[in-house]
Amino acid sequence: MTGLWRQAWEIARKDLRTELRSGEVLMITVPFGAAALMLIPLAIGVDAPLLERVGPGMYWSVVLLFGVLVTVRQSAADGPAQMDLLSLLGLDPAARFAGKAGASALLLMAFEAMLAPIALALYGSDPRGWWWVLAVLPLVALGLGLLGTLAGAIAASVASTTLVPLIVVPLSVPMLLAAAQVTEGIRVGATIFGWLLLLVVMDLLLAVAGVLSARPLQEATR
Amino acid sequence: MRRKAWLDFAAGALLAGALVAGLAVPPERNMGDLARIMFVHVPAAWLAYLAFGVTLVGSVGYLATGRMKWDRLAAGSAEVGVYFNGLTIALGMIWGKSTWGVWWTWDARLVLTAIMFFVYLGYLGLRRGIADPVARARRSAWLGVLGAVQIPIVHFSVVWWRGLHQPPSVIRPGGVQMDNEFRIALAIAVLAFTFVYAALLRRHMENALAEEALAARLASEEVEVAGAAITAPRYGEVD
Repeated sequence: MTGLWRQAWEIARKDLRTELRSGEVLMITVPFGAAALMLIPLAIGVDAPLLERVGPGMYWSVVLLFGVLVTVRQSAADGPAQMDLLSLLGLDPAARFAGKAGASALLLMAFEAMLAPIALALYGSDPRGWWWVLAVLPLVALGLGLLGTLAGAIAASVASTTLVPLIVVPLSVPMLLAAAQVTEGIRVGATIFGWLLLLVVMDLLLAVAGVLSARPLQEATR
Repeated sequence: MRRKAWLDFAAGALLAGALVAGLAVPPERNMGDLARIMFVHVPAAWLAYLAFGVTLVGSVGYLATGRMKWDRLAAGSAEVGVYFNGLTIALGMIWGKSTWGVWWTWDARLVLTAIMFFVYLGYLGLRRGIADPVARARRSAWLGVLGAVQIPIVHFSVVWWRGLHQPPSVIRPGGVQMDNEFRIALAIAVLAFTFVYAALLRRHMENALAEEALAARLASEEVEVAGAAITAPRYGEVD
């Protein structure tokens, strides 16, 4: 393993270990998301055919909105002193970005995987089509993880904690669209290749932007 | 006349010309006088694109050179762009209520234009949240680059997704799809709005420069702080 990847792996391991100890994502954000999935039918009316139709869209909306909480939590975990220490230890900023984005993506995948059966149960959507959606889960998780980490780096040292969601949510709309269109495409038998390609391209662009901006953004914090 | 005031006067004169041209064209066959809203809605939308495009240029310029003038250009243009973007949405809603019967519909162009508005509100929010000018310039420059990705998506959304919003009438394959008198009035309106944009942008950049100068002067001045009257005790000295 080269130096950069090893550093990224160590950062990801640290973030995942912190999550394992605190359990904030799995013990708090998942139940919060599940509660949101339960509230929506109460708000729009308990109409089984309607819920079956809107279920996938509601699932992706909750993943997007509550997934931001996961990425914000990961971005806010490192304070200025910790960042300085990591810099003094010679940590490559690109490795830090990759590690944090990777950890966020893994946590988001777990978040998606835990919410999916809840959405299936609550909305009664046809689970056969959902097997195909499994291919989309990692792409959306990676994209959200990358975008959230990048937004966290851009908004680092800003006192307002609501700024990161304001940056992430509008920019993640193509991901929401693509994920929802894949699910809808499977339901009606339409082609989904274009939407999958959009997700892959977005992930690649965000990864390149994140790696290129990592050092200048870290230097701007000082 | 002040040397720099020519832009303001030109913008004002062109706006007056655009008003006259917009009122002079006959009512549109299907929509009647409502079609005149196009002479404000379309230029506002184009100016929003232009403004956010200039923000992209300013952001790239700052990242490449580190010069603050590029940051002032990016920030000023984003502020003016948000104003034009908001105007586009508001006028579009008025149009929608009169033609479609609803203030808002889930059309791709409408939704993406609103999302573009929120992205640049986030950009301005980010700038407000960072006190250090260099950190602010560098961080917002990256967001300025990232946010610009959606400008072509918003423009071509009417081609890629079929919705209620009409497809492009000016920049489209096969040439402009519009009567001559409408085309001329629209061209005057676009020119007038462009001058208004340039005048507003220049004001924003001048204000930003003045703010930077004021901040630098305040930082260099010796100001009396609370507790300055308290001096350290001098042990062993008797008055």
